[in-house]
Amino acid sequence: MKTNTLSYKIKQYLIFAGLTTFIFASVVLVPFVYGLYLTFTSWDGVSLSKPFVGIENYVNAFADTSYWQSLGRTFIYSAIAVILVNAVAFIIAYMVTSGIKGQNFFRAGFFVPNLIGGIVLGYVWKFVFNKALVELAETITSGHAKSLLATETGAIAALIIVSVWQYAGYMMLIYVAGFMSVSEDVIEAAKIDGCTGSQSIFYISIPLMTASFVQCLFLTITRCFMVYDVNLSLTNGDPYGSSALAAMHVYNQAFINKNYGTGQAEALILFVICAIIGGIQVYVGKKGEVQA
Amino acid sequence: MKKKIVSLVMVAAMAMSMVACGSSSDSGDSAASTGVSITVLNSKTEIQTQFEDMAEEYEKATGVHVEVYNADTDTTVASQVATKYASNDPYTLTMVDAKDIYSLADDYAYDLSNEDWASHTTLGIDVNGKLAGFPVCVEARGILYNADAIKEITGEDFDPASVATLDDFKALLDKLVAGGMEAPVGILSEYWSLGAHWFPMVYEEQEDPDAFVNSLLAGEADLAGNEKYNELMDTFETLVAYNYAKGSASNADREETSMMLAEGDIAFMFGGNWDWSVINQYDYTENMGIMPVPQNTEDGTNEMLVGGGSKYFFVDSSDATSEEERQAALDFLNWLVSDPEGNAFLTEQCALVPAFDNIDASALDPLSLSVKSYADAGKLVPNYNYLPDDHMTVVGQEIMQKYLDEAMTRDEVATSVVDYFKSATPIAH
Repeated sequence: MKTNTLSYKIKQYLIFAGLTTFIFASVVLVPFVYGLYLTFTSWDGVSLSKPFVGIENYVNAFADTSYWQSLGRTFIYSAIAVILVNAVAFIIAYMVTSGIKGQNFFRAGFFVPNLIGGIVLGYVWKFVFNKALVELAETITSGHAKSLLATETGAIAALIIVSVWQYAGYMMLIYVAGFMSVSEDVIEAAKIDGCTGSQSIFYISIPLMTASFVQCLFLTITRCFMVYDVNLSLTNGDPYGSSALAAMHVYNQAFINKNYGTGQAEALILFVICAIIGGIQVYVGKKGEVQA
Repeated sequence: MKKKIVSLVMVAAMAMSMVACGSSSDSGDSAASTGVSITVLNSKTEIQTQFEDMAEEYEKATGVHVEVYNADTDTTVASQVATKYASNDPYTLTMVDAKDIYSLADDYAYDLSNEDWASHTTLGIDVNGKLAGFPVCVEARGILYNADAIKEITGEDFDPASVATLDDFKALLDKLVAGGMEAPVGILSEYWSLGAHWFPMVYEEQEDPDAFVNSLLAGEADLAGNEKYNELMDTFETLVAYNYAKGSASNADREETSMMLAEGDIAFMFGGNWDWSVINQYDYTENMGIMPVPQNTEDGTNEMLVGGGSKYFFVDSSDATSEEERQAALDFLNWLVSDPEGNAFLTEQCALVPAFDNIDASALDPLSLSVKSYADAGKLVPNYNYLPDDHMTVVGQEIMQKYLDEAMTRDEVATSVVDYFKSATPIAH
């Protein structure tokens, strides 16, 4: 049986990957291409007619200052959230792998926030910020306290706090796996050579865990850029639309303002930005990986 | 041994899930005795439970299965309808806002002008010669008051007509403050309340709303110098000054504000009769009502509520719905208007103000009774349904929330609204 003919190769491919290719195409590729087509129409989202308008939607998207403002906010939010999520996750991971009592319990505990849906989580935290914390502050200062969610920077800060709370546990799991994958022998060898605790973390564990960092950074960056659910239930853009992040702006543009084409074009721009940042980050990260 | 237990548990879980699937499809089959089944999207989420109960009763009585879907909370009704049409699986009956009827009617709405109920209402929506929208109810906006809370301080029965002007209203507010009610007013901070309920009154109470909005779109109107704008903003400023949430006004919680009104901690709140579904969750008094927004004005709008038909059903006209299903949907709409059970569902179970003159509405809640009395007296300023789609978010959230927080002056509001209209997309009508 010849194994290097084209038909054989196609058959082999279809047998092993045919079904997945079909599913991938029907739920990702086709909608993506169709979505791309919609960015060239002035469709309102429901009507039967989809008039072709060329690049008008992209012109509108570039002229939409509130879109670029929301994108700017998203950059700031993502930068801070990504750093905090990973720092917190790494520290927690270090602590729950260092052999403290009940570390499995802690691992589970820190992971739980990730199991709560974004919408629910947003409402829960809204209550915490608006009621519990205000009540607490008023008792301490015995004066009038303003909720964090009522100020423009406060609302973004609140979003960051909630994101860190939500994602840190998940990223912690990946870092825990990273810590476990560093072999005991290497650590022991380092100790014999005279490494202190912190030296062995910075010079041995971290370089060997680069893969975990690449993964965590990629996940957090893309998640932060695309965040919508927490944004919706926690702030819904309040106050004054100052906390609407890019995904929310895109959604509102498409479905509340009924500029479906423009919204779709803005979504595509957001996707391209995300893809570029994610791609660069993974490429740079991979280059830095080392083998023990 | 352990492995065995694990596999047993897995088997049990699998069996359970299959049983669950099986039973749910069973109940679907046995219930549909006539075999006709229609789907309904309910976008008045506060009546979902009542709607589901009614659907069961309706099926028992007529044999038509009515599947009621609640509008998703994390998406807009328009996008949910869009998704259903995109997948060629539309609802037989869809409940949407007046605005959506205009965008959907041409393609998807069935002409209802030959229906029996059509002669009993003036609030249906006609689009290009066909009656496309069945008015679900009448809703109107104004200032909600708690008469008990006022009487407790003033000692007299509250007569809304006595505070029609802003000066009189202010005098009463001062009296309430002096009598111990620290801040007698609540203002909802949600952008739909500010941008789709409050601010549109500036257009709706003009002599010719359409002409005024068009002149704004053309960039020709003088908003800052407009009499109506200033009258309403005078009133708004007064409300802001007496707002209980002053200091973090743009973060006021709807539930909390409604609760305070229900329990008499505040006496007034801007809103509409739909707020009853929130208010009645708390320890409320029956002595409540809606009154016109007080204004120092000569044009008579301070004696009228603002509103009209709200939420409309349209029947799907596309091929995805069979003749039989369409007829069942039409029968259902007729049942709502002409059958005592249908009437009771609207007025008693859902507390909606009916849009039809043949329905008895005496069982309504206090807020709806207010609306009904203004509607019957012809004292409703009609809704203006052709504001650009992003008016609610831009004017409500970006502009009026700032004004509510006193972070913007009245002139700045006028300038920003005028600027907004210059780039807004008009709604064809």
